[in-house]
Amino acid sequence: MRMNETEKELIAMVLAGRTEAFEPLVTPYRGPLLALAARLTGNREEALDVVQEALLRAYRSLRSFDPSHPFRNWLFQIAANAARDRGRRISRERAAFPEVIDRAAAPADPEARLDRRETYSGVMSALAVLSPREREVFVLRDLEELDIRETSRALGCSSLSVRVSLSSARKKLRLAIRQDFPHLKEDR
Amino acid sequence: MTCRKLHRLIPLAAGDDLSPRQARAMRAHIARCPGCRAELEAFRKDLAAIRAEARAEVVADWSAGEWRALMVRVAAATNAAPGRAEQGAGAATWMRPRWAAAAVAGALLSLVIMAVLFKGPSIPRPAPEGPALAANFDKTQDKVAIHMVSPESGLQVVWILDRNFEWKGDHE
Repeated sequence: MRMNETEKELIAMVLAGRTEAFEPLVTPYRGPLLALAARLTGNREEALDVVQEALLRAYRSLRSFDPSHPFRNWLFQIAANAARDRGRRISRERAAFPEVIDRAAAPADPEARLDRRETYSGVMSALAVLSPREREVFVLRDLEELDIRETSRALGCSSLSVRVSLSSARKKLRLAIRQDFPHLKEDR
Repeated sequence: MTCRKLHRLIPLAAGDDLSPRQARAMRAHIARCPGCRAELEAFRKDLAAIRAEARAEVVADWSAGEWRALMVRVAAATNAAPGRAEQGAGAATWMRPRWAAAAVAGALLSLVIMAVLFKGPSIPRPAPEGPALAANFDKTQDKVAIHMVSPESGLQVVWILDRNFEWKGDHE
């Protein structure tokens, strides 16, 4: 998937200082970005923060974008990095202040709780059995349909590393769905 | 390729992610091994079902307000145009000026430490031959005292001045 002319023009406009061109540039990817972030973080609220951070980073480093690659993949790469950074930060904070973080993570509003349960249902919930790297690889390769090379570029690792993580992720996920989520198999 | 080796490759083969060489070897093996062929097909079906299930799980899309608010925040947080903002690829590039500053600060700190460590023994300065002069000056004080002692005669003179250096007072 190559960049289309409209994207090239919009990028040129943003780089020329017309910041209002940034919104039409990223709007076509707002749904895919949110879905990617939600699959990587496990819930929608965190995903919103991740997308915000990703778009800020994208804006700031737009000049470094290589137009020979798809703009979508570049955005996915930034979002995956933002999700990983956020995950690490939360892990550190959880280690330092476990009670505070756990209280903040439990929404008081019953509707918010319901939303969160719904978000965690099905395959999204099964993704929790994967390590962060396995989850990134599985989501980018199997759900967002990047190929192995694009996935490795997005994650900044080798194709071999992507294949190792992908193999492990598929095995774990298949096993988890057979054992813990039989309804997913029955639904098919 | 043995059945055991092939089983290790099945998760990748199910998504057509083997290298061309591995894919050729696998095709050759499953052509003559019905057990492995069945296992590969079962894995392929499961993977397709997981992918379909995951894609069917729709994450609630942005509300118009959420997206608008996000765009406003992005615009507010990026006052500088990208041309003036960080250039280069991702985080690594925008970190460069900080690394440069840190390197300079580290070098300066090293110089200071080296200077302190390798400074020679301090040489006591001889006392001045002339009259000793001591001024007690404090900006918070209204008065300044200047105390002068003659080393030859032992005569001491004290001037007390106000903050405008007008003589107020006393000598002995």
